[in-house]
Amino acid sequence: MAERCAVIGIGQTDFKTRLDLSMDGLVRWAALEALEDAGLTFDDIDAVVIGKAPDALEGVIMPELSLCDALGAIGKPIHRVHTAGSVGGSTAVSASTMIESGMYNTVLTVAYEKLSDGNFMWALSGGRSGGAGAGGSFAPWIRNYIRRSGAPDDIGCKVAAKDRRNGAKNPHSHVSQADLTPEVVAESPMIWDPIHFLEVCPSSDGAAAMVMTNAEGAKRSIQKPAWVISHAKRTEFGVFPGRDPVIPVAGMECARALYKKAGITDPRRQIDCAELYVPFSWFEPMWLETHLIAQPGEGWKMVETGATEIGGDFPVNMSGGVICSNPIGATGMLRLLEPVNQVRGTAGDYQVEGAKVALGQAFGGPNNYFAMWIVSSEPDPDFS
Amino acid sequence: MFTYRLELTNSCFGSFFPHLGRGLPLRHEGSTKPSKPFDFFGSECVDLALVVAAFVLAEIDQAWDRPGQDPPYLMVHYEPSSKQGAVTMSEFPISFTLEFPYTRTPGPVIGRFLTGLRDGRILGIRSGDRILCPPMEFDPDTCETLALDFVDVGPSGTVENWTWIAEPTSKHPIQEPFAFALVKLDGADTVMTHAVKASGPEAISTGMRVTAQFREERVGAVTDVYFVPEADAEKQSIEPGEGEVEITTHTISLPYTDTLYPHSARFAQGLLDGKFIGQRTRDGTVSFPGKGYDALARVVLTEADDVELPPVGTVLSYTTIAPIQYKGQTETEPYLTAIIILDGAGQTLTPQDIRNIPTDEFRVGMRLRAVFKPAAERDIDNVDNDWMYPSIGNVVDHWESSGEPDCPLDELPESV
Repeated sequence: MAERCAVIGIGQTDFKTRLDLSMDGLVRWAALEALEDAGLTFDDIDAVVIGKAPDALEGVIMPELSLCDALGAIGKPIHRVHTAGSVGGSTAVSASTMIESGMYNTVLTVAYEKLSDGNFMWALSGGRSGGAGAGGSFAPWIRNYIRRSGAPDDIGCKVAAKDRRNGAKNPHSHVSQADLTPEVVAESPMIWDPIHFLEVCPSSDGAAAMVMTNAEGAKRSIQKPAWVISHAKRTEFGVFPGRDPVIPVAGMECARALYKKAGITDPRRQIDCAELYVPFSWFEPMWLETHLIAQPGEGWKMVETGATEIGGDFPVNMSGGVICSNPIGATGMLRLLEPVNQVRGTAGDYQVEGAKVALGQAFGGPNNYFAMWIVSSEPDPDFS
Repeated sequence: MFTYRLELTNSCFGSFFPHLGRGLPLRHEGSTKPSKPFDFFGSECVDLALVVAAFVLAEIDQAWDRPGQDPPYLMVHYEPSSKQGAVTMSEFPISFTLEFPYTRTPGPVIGRFLTGLRDGRILGIRSGDRILCPPMEFDPDTCETLALDFVDVGPSGTVENWTWIAEPTSKHPIQEPFAFALVKLDGADTVMTHAVKASGPEAISTGMRVTAQFREERVGAVTDVYFVPEADAEKQSIEPGEGEVEITTHTISLPYTDTLYPHSARFAQGLLDGKFIGQRTRDGTVSFPGKGYDALARVVLTEADDVELPPVGTVLSYTTIAPIQYKGQTETEPYLTAIIILDGAGQTLTPQDIRNIPTDEFRVGMRLRAVFKPAAERDIDNVDNDWMYPSIGNVVDHWESSGEPDCPLDELPESV
């Protein structure tokens, strides 16, 4: 690559239902916050990269065009990215490649969803659509993860309780429960066996934004830059003979490519913390294995031993993650934004002490889109 | 642009699975269709036509409001053209209507504009030395946030340009031939696109004067108003409503027809005949339903690649769904759905409803046989090119134990 990319500004809205803002107002909120964080204005931005999940979620078609004034993009290039639920992640990665290519000096990237506009009932099972819904589709895969790995039944409850407790430290959270215990999660209604109600993400409104720049821009930054060390995106078909959707090949290959480019050989030791896209609690151990952080069949052990708690040796979803807030399009970007927050040391109550290298991951579709990156407080972190 | 629209198609269907993995291009290589309900840009791809239609509808959505809508749901309902008998290409297309009610939070500027319309006023907003109508949240030149400085404009204005709608659809704001016109309201510096009632295209012209007429029933929508030639305008006295317009409802509905590709038609014919027809891919595994192409080898599959699979398979996983009672929910009791892989198939069926086997007797590894409905009761109404799985539930009455011992767990394929 021609240039290095650094994140020098981040912004996010609160993720509760926003009836006071238009969609334009929502994305602008995050964009202005990121610019303010970077000490810049729209005038400093060369291009805008926007992402969101399917337009049908709000029924506003080609929103990237109608949002260009809200994002200060008039007279500038605006690009739209779409890769289902992983879109926020792939949007940020796409924005970073625009810096790395040398094409633009400073780029604003924004991702959002306003799910209250569409009342996201089609994620639920049954009803007039007759569909299995998101939970109904993922639950059998989770059941098979449990069977194949021999994980105890309460691992999902432990993940959910951890994430909801972490979320209570994040002022932006949509749903958080400061005192939630795995036992209480286990007592909540079983919605998609083996998924309990409290193991499920909410349906949120919100936007996230980042300002990225090259090495020259990073020198002038008022913020401590978070350097993009490596990134990777991978895709596979959602349905094909022989596919394993529990541990998808695309997810493993995405991680392999990511670590190789970064020079990471032992991710659990060399990465300080991670934000993973976990919309249903059991995805945490599934992704720990898919992304080669845990040995096959052993992701759940990291949950059981508390390794993924803040204070553990590999904290996951310190911000509360998707289990606390799920504005779908923004969700993937938040997974890549929160690692920036960590390596800058600006994560407040959910800061991992001394975090220097952090992993962000987003997935979408039926476990078939992946976008990941690694950021660091150092431009060239020593992984020895 | 096409890439973007194709993805919209996926979401319109709500059919997550086959689409998202399929990647581009979505042209179904080698497929041809005898009838093309849409023919945009010379494309043979019905998906593309569909999304273009969705795009048009969404534009209509910007100007169309329906008060008192049901709370949201996603609904696809079908008007079959073929229930029984042989499936031939000419018996399709099948008609669908896709409908979804949305809400909008118009925010501080458009909300005030809509409130004004409800109250019989047309409001512009000050942006520098210009008055914008309809108002905008941000300065269209500088992107700066505009102060909430509203100005009454109209109710009369000048037609800057127009087009005649000779055959309005049920979605148009006026149900008789009318004009869409760019109207610059008196006091405003920008034009608003709106409907003008006129006796015919000869009765409207650029430069003509028109006046706003407010409807009897106003709900805080852009359709609360329409325009007539100034001379035809009636004096109106409008009683203001209460409160601000903070949320609006918008229903998008999309009727469309889908013409089956040859492999889809053979699959559908198989279902009517009580057979599961898949396609053998180049690596020897069987894709069911077939896709007309081999996703991995990237080659076209034809009738020569069709394979009939036995109606017997193994349970790879399952879940019990406790239906959440939202408006539009049709399920009331928990129900079991299972992921089954047919013998000889390389990929699983999407979750199949199991209503006749008690949950506590259900287990991974069970061997099940599909029991077809009587021939006269099988229907293929919901077969479409992109999402053929649900139709299995319309021809299979239920799944029952095949009488064989369970498949040992360590012999299950890892594809869930």
